[in-house]
Amino acid sequence: MNKFIILVCFILCTGYHVVAQKIIARQGRVAFFSYTPVENIKAENNQVLSIIDLSNGSIAVSMLMNAFIFEKALMREHFNESYVESDLYPKATFVGEILDFDPLLRGEQTRIIKGNFTMHDVSTALEIKTKIDYIDSSYEVSGSFEAMVNDYEIKIPPLLAGNIAKVITVDFRFEYEPYQE
Amino acid sequence: MSPIKNNIVLVILLFLAGISGSAQDLLQILEEERPEQLQYAEATFKTTRITFGHSVETRKKGILEVFVANRFWDSPAPRSQSFVADRLSTRFALEYALTDRLSAGLGGTTWDGLFDGFLKYRLIRQSAGKEGSPVGLTLFQNASYYSKGESDPAIADAFSDRLSFTTQALIASKVNRNFSLQLAPTYVHKGLSYYGEPNKDHFALGVGARYKLGQHLSVVSEYYWLLNPVESPSTYGPFSIGVNWELGDVMLQFMLTNAVNMVEEAFITGTRNNFNFRSPNLNFGFNFAYVIHFKRNLRN
Repeated sequence: MNKFIILVCFILCTGYHVVAQKIIARQGRVAFFSYTPVENIKAENNQVLSIIDLSNGSIAVSMLMNAFIFEKALMREHFNESYVESDLYPKATFVGEILDFDPLLRGEQTRIIKGNFTMHDVSTALEIKTKIDYIDSSYEVSGSFEAMVNDYEIKIPPLLAGNIAKVITVDFRFEYEPYQE
Repeated sequence: MSPIKNNIVLVILLFLAGISGSAQDLLQILEEERPEQLQYAEATFKTTRITFGHSVETRKKGILEVFVANRFWDSPAPRSQSFVADRLSTRFALEYALTDRLSAGLGGTTWDGLFDGFLKYRLIRQSAGKEGSPVGLTLFQNASYYSKGESDPAIADAFSDRLSFTTQALIASKVNRNFSLQLAPTYVHKGLSYYGEPNKDHFALGVGARYKLGQHLSVVSEYYWLLNPVESPSTYGPFSIGVNWELGDVMLQFMLTNAVNMVEEAFITGTRNNFNFRSPNLNFGFNFAYVIHFKRNLRN
């Protein structure tokens, strides 16, 4: 009986190790673009955190809004002060699930990530087509989606409405490494 | 149950508990992973001036501010033939941010013939959290040259006599997201002295505040209290109340004030009128700042 318990423990432990492994990206890149005839605005954040649980394909992303770097320094101030109000809502987060994710499949796979994106205290459901690359021992996840400025209750004064696009393109790219608890 | 079966149940429970949690738990892990970083209070004021006086704000590196300040007022004559306003004074200036902390500016004013230059250094930034400094501190030093001719031979007007200096410690706190307050202990050394005024060194305390009315609009006010004002001719502390409005790369400031001058030593120690609505005491001020970025932060 004792041997049986040890065996069960052993199986569970090894199984646990393989299945419940998490991978983390500490320097993920998220960039967004707004194209209008008046001006093009581009911003980049290279300190985005993301974690994936390989056992069930769940994924989480978290970024600080004031870590976005803009082409012009003043744009960054306006973005934080007047639009996303990062003093009140410092973070944007995404929690979701990679549908039909096979963590053992080598090479490239295209999967839908379904989840909730929260920014400026507003959550919206998103389905994002994503490329997942499993090379050597690291995963790389990249893709892009579009966000409507209106959906996130961001107020743009009428005088500046021409400067900021109604639809913002968001690109992302994360490189994951094994996560040690 | 036997102890062995208890053990099995325990092991299974442990295993179940150990299985990866929900996505929310993942978010929790990310929060713990985030490196600690001191966050600074941004935009205590939106402009480098509150109204006429400097604010703690400096521009980010590589920004050139084209700064045009105007004051309009009426002469005391009961009838005036001028359109809109009898008098106009304009200060044209270029102000450049050498680093995120250090700015320098050069300007010239039409009415009082003052040419001025300043250096402004942001020494302490206010932190947004509990740690760090609760206030921001910016040091300001200017020098101005009085360029107008002096007819009175009794007044010493060599080059060095025509220079005046203002030193300020600008201490400000963004109290909450809408309200900011600034104190400005000020030392002024005046160059020329009129009417046998013996005192050339003056001390003042400036108080300024802004309240945000909206995302881009704020109401602002400023006052300088002089510990030893110029006595002859009698002078008053400069006061202003106005509105700051930012529009992308353009900042507009509108104000009502009793101060005609736009260079620090001149408006702090040389404001001849008290604040009221009689001509020529009331000035309408309009500042226009256009921001040009010479440094691009993104490579591609």
